[in-house]
Amino acid sequence: MNLFELLKAVAPELIVTAGAFLVLLVDLAFMRGHEIKRRLAVSGGVACLACLAAIVWISQSSGTANLPMLSLTPLTQLIKQVLIGLTIFTIIVSLNAKFTTHVGEYFAILLLAAVGLMLLVSSENLLMIFVALELVSLSLYALSAFNKASLASAEAALKYFFFGGMSAAFTLFGISLIYGLTGHTELGAIAAAMKAQSVEPVFYVALVMTLIGFAFKIAAAPLHLWVPDTYYAAPTPIAAFIASGSKVGCFFVLARILIQGFESNHGSAAWQQFVSGWMPVIAVLALASMLLGNIAAIAQTSVKRILAYSAIAQAGYALLALFAHEQRAMASLLYFVITYAITVLGSLAVVSIVENSGSRDRLTDFAGLSRRAPVLSGCMLIFILSLAGIPPLAGFFGKFYVFTSAAGAAKDLGMLWLVIAAVGASAISLYYYLQILKQIYVADAPVSPTAIQTPVFAGIGIVVLAAAVVVLGCAPDLLLDKILAAINSVG
Amino acid sequence: MWTSWTHSKADMSFNPQYLFLIPLLPLVAAGVSALIGRHQRKLAATLAIGSMALAFLISCAAFAASLNAPAQGEVFRQVFNFNWFQLGEGSLRLGFILDPLTAVMLVMVTFVGLLIFIYSAGYMAHDENFKQFFCFLSLFAAAMLGLLISNSLLLLFICWELVGLASYLLIGFWFQKPSAAAAAKKAFITTRIGDIGLFLGMLWLYGKTGTLLFYDGGNGCLESSALTQLVAQTAFAGMALSTVIALLIFCGAVGKSGQVPLHVWLPDAMEGPTPVSALIHAATMVAAGVFLMARVYPLVTAQAGDLSLPTTAAQVITFVGAITAVFAALIAVGQNDLKRILAYSTVSQLGFMMIGLGVGGVAVAMFHLITHAFFKALLFLGAGSVIHGCHEEQDIRKMGGLRKFMPVTFATYAIGMLALCGVPFFAGFWSKDEILHAAHAWPGSHIPFYLAIIGAFLTAFYMTRQVCYVFFGMHRGDKHHAPHESPRTMTVPLTILAVFAVILGFLGTPAWPWFSGWLTGHPVEFNFGKLLAGGALGMMVLSALIACGGIGLGWWVYAKAAAKPSIELDPLEKLSPVVFGWLRGRLFIDELYAATVIRLTTLLAVTSDWLDRVLWGGMVQLVGGCTNLFSRLNLTIDNTVVNGGFDQGCEGLRESAGWLSRLRNGQLQNYLRTIGAALFVLLLFLIWGRQ
Repeated sequence: MNLFELLKAVAPELIVTAGAFLVLLVDLAFMRGHEIKRRLAVSGGVACLACLAAIVWISQSSGTANLPMLSLTPLTQLIKQVLIGLTIFTIIVSLNAKFTTHVGEYFAILLLAAVGLMLLVSSENLLMIFVALELVSLSLYALSAFNKASLASAEAALKYFFFGGMSAAFTLFGISLIYGLTGHTELGAIAAAMKAQSVEPVFYVALVMTLIGFAFKIAAAPLHLWVPDTYYAAPTPIAAFIASGSKVGCFFVLARILIQGFESNHGSAAWQQFVSGWMPVIAVLALASMLLGNIAAIAQTSVKRILAYSAIAQAGYALLALFAHEQRAMASLLYFVITYAITVLGSLAVVSIVENSGSRDRLTDFAGLSRRAPVLSGCMLIFILSLAGIPPLAGFFGKFYVFTSAAGAAKDLGMLWLVIAAVGASAISLYYYLQILKQIYVADAPVSPTAIQTPVFAGIGIVVLAAAVVVLGCAPDLLLDKILAAINSVG
Repeated sequence: MWTSWTHSKADMSFNPQYLFLIPLLPLVAAGVSALIGRHQRKLAATLAIGSMALAFLISCAAFAASLNAPAQGEVFRQVFNFNWFQLGEGSLRLGFILDPLTAVMLVMVTFVGLLIFIYSAGYMAHDENFKQFFCFLSLFAAAMLGLLISNSLLLLFICWELVGLASYLLIGFWFQKPSAAAAAKKAFITTRIGDIGLFLGMLWLYGKTGTLLFYDGGNGCLESSALTQLVAQTAFAGMALSTVIALLIFCGAVGKSGQVPLHVWLPDAMEGPTPVSALIHAATMVAAGVFLMARVYPLVTAQAGDLSLPTTAAQVITFVGAITAVFAALIAVGQNDLKRILAYSTVSQLGFMMIGLGVGGVAVAMFHLITHAFFKALLFLGAGSVIHGCHEEQDIRKMGGLRKFMPVTFATYAIGMLALCGVPFFAGFWSKDEILHAAHAWPGSHIPFYLAIIGAFLTAFYMTRQVCYVFFGMHRGDKHHAPHESPRTMTVPLTILAVFAVILGFLGTPAWPWFSGWLTGHPVEFNFGKLLAGGALGMMVLSALIACGGIGLGWWVYAKAAAKPSIELDPLEKLSPVVFGWLRGRLFIDELYAATVIRLTTLLAVTSDWLDRVLWGGMVQLVGGCTNLFSRLNLTIDNTVVNGGFDQGCEGLRESAGWLSRLRNGQLQNYLRTIGAALFVLLLFLIWGRQ
């Protein structure tokens, strides 16, 4: 391996990192005296340009490279493009932020989180995965504390940080146990070593410990405790990024570790065919997340908290895709999380605009929104119905693919019990999703409503996201074909 | 002339992949006009008319391409199929098709639609929901055009339902009127009853053949391999599976095309604005049923044994059509509402098309469909012009003498009426003559032929009655508001349609049956001799006599009545009040349904409602209560254990100060506890499961 090859392989990451420093430089050196709005626009613009450059680079490059710590395939390149795309939308939503005066630092850390995600998906080495995961996590801890004026933001960030640090410690412990068992940190080598030896109880310790960190990142119950507080109190664009970009990256890596690394230890969670392995663990996590997320969401009165609990539930659905542990599983999982990311990003962007117009995020703050901001409400309608899984929106096909791949995963429809639970749980979810829409479309507007000002770029971004949800729902093959092609080219 | 033109365009081709543009254009217009403000009337009308004009141009290109027959005896057919989405191992495929059937319908719908759109701009000019009207019209056009280009029964069904939705919206456009709202509901529910049959047929077809594509390079459900398979199986009562499926699909057509016994919605649908009646309930949507049967015609005629006798499906279609043709024509005689007469006339003519389909095949039925679309659109738009000119008066007894006030409307209306009656050399004559001819030669039975003759006679009679009442005699309306001629946006489309109502028939005369030749892929020669040969001349004389007889009788009965200053009793009513009462009461079919089907449904609904409230409702309440309780519990745990822990931590901070105390207190331990507990439980779970 020569240096040039390495540089070429990590060029997108380098571009985004350079973008982060450039944002810092521009903001601190030239924009200090200007008003916040202009600083946000300039820094955000620079950050967007860096992201766009990275996307262009990826689409131009050949896409495959195999380096000791990094392995680039068309699939990872596709995921990276998606991640950068989500970052761009997060930046756009942040352009009208009112929570911070540290503009340069804000965008720089956001870009660093994006770099962490990109490294995360391009590695097949547990050590590298852990380092990348920490880069993402530390950036996100800092970002969720960015609203210095709000005590709640600091509280949420602190909770997030404690919980995250703790679960990261468990994961690191788990990884070291696996290294002790197999002598490898490379996923492929771990799988080969595990196949050759009998399973010892300590492997289960290692497995569960490793999974805890990821369950924390994807917001699966019972490691979800941070989610409602963080979504609620963190700056809304950051909550959107945690829910979208971070989730896509972590789901991808989790699937990779389980499907590649623990290939031979999957066990079985099928009805009356219980075999120890990672599948029963995932089944427990999925069931707990779906039930807890959906039921707890019913009692909420804050839109962001509702979306937070819904995120827990959606993580539960997504986990269902893993049971088919083959290419189709990966494709349906990716379709689900990508469309979910688009949807949740859009809905939190709408919440952020409502918040910036002077109200809060209580359900009652959305009363009569359709009369005050018809386009925004229309987009919110699309997002919420997609989350609820109403055809012909993207969320419907996401759920459909995940459920069908899970139902067909085991012999004799063995996983049907979990699919039935998932369908039941998503029926419950309709209640609270429709609560939001009821406020927007049915409830009377308050007597003296605050005017909703939709910033131009954020408005365009939201409309684009809504259009994507509709288009991907009507023609799911647009995205699915791409994912399948990328997966097939890996072989 | 036509053949030479065909040759000059021989190299013309049209990729069926781009057919989707035709429905897409009006769809985009509908979407955009749904979003713009309600005062942007001009924009909405321009969008709708512009998109329709573009769709018309593309349709013309497709039509020109379809004029190239690939070889002697073969039908031009191009399909474009694509994956809609992956479904497990298989995939759901949809497709577009371009063949003469689609091409001629495309041109007809876009052309008639375009004229009606232009007409609407004048007719609806004073309506406050003008923008919405054009939005719905465009939506309808998009759905209808989508239906025509479908090469998949599923896609066709989707568009079919969308057409139903658009029809519902347009019939109930003046929803402030309770009668309009009720009519919209009635239309929607009645057609839905037929659609259940269509849906079942579709599912059965898919279950047996595994595809819903019509043509797919030999694998489609209308191609020989699938048909052979369907014919070989017997469903029940000795009927082949193909026949049963065809009959189920026919149920959908019965609903949409207003055939007996599901015809009741169509006359009520006249509550909608008149352009809607012209577009949807005369020219295009109601013809969709005939189109559907023409599309699946291979299923209707597929049979294994004796090929000389018609299949059960063809017989059912013929008899339903024949009964409808006479039945609706009878009712039309007793109506006094200008538009209702035309509505029953439409039902009757659709019956004629069904006869044509059953006895003569696709070409016969389609020819009548096309000519009918033009002259019935003309009649409806003429009626709209009359209603407009008479200040929203629809009762023909209160009109009269309009010939002098509205000369253009009168001239064009007369042409439409003559075409509908089947007077020689007008379009309706040639197409109706072909149906009679085919019915006469049908080996199944002669009853449909006699019924058709009665229907044709009645048609001429009631149309004469109507024209006498409306245009002749003296004006019986309000003396202070004299009727006036309509504006140019309304009379110009009338004139154009009138021209077509005359010349269109010459595409299908016995001497030069270009239309049927083109549809079936047989080039035809011009042969004047055929006009006189065999039974053709006799049949033409017969049908001319019937038409003239009907008109003559009508004139004899009604010319005098129309000249009186007011009409107390219809001349027929004097003759036999009971019979006329039945006709005016529409043979009391609605009342029959109200007393039977609707009462039964109401009874069932009341029972279900009670069950729902008491039994199921109680269970739902119980489950809901439990869920609510659980979620409250969850909230409490969240608030007290998790948040409370944090709050306690803050308390502790306040009391003892310093970071260390905080780290040792409350929250962190709680969190760690959760992780620890999760680890422990999951591990236990795995190790317990090892055995």
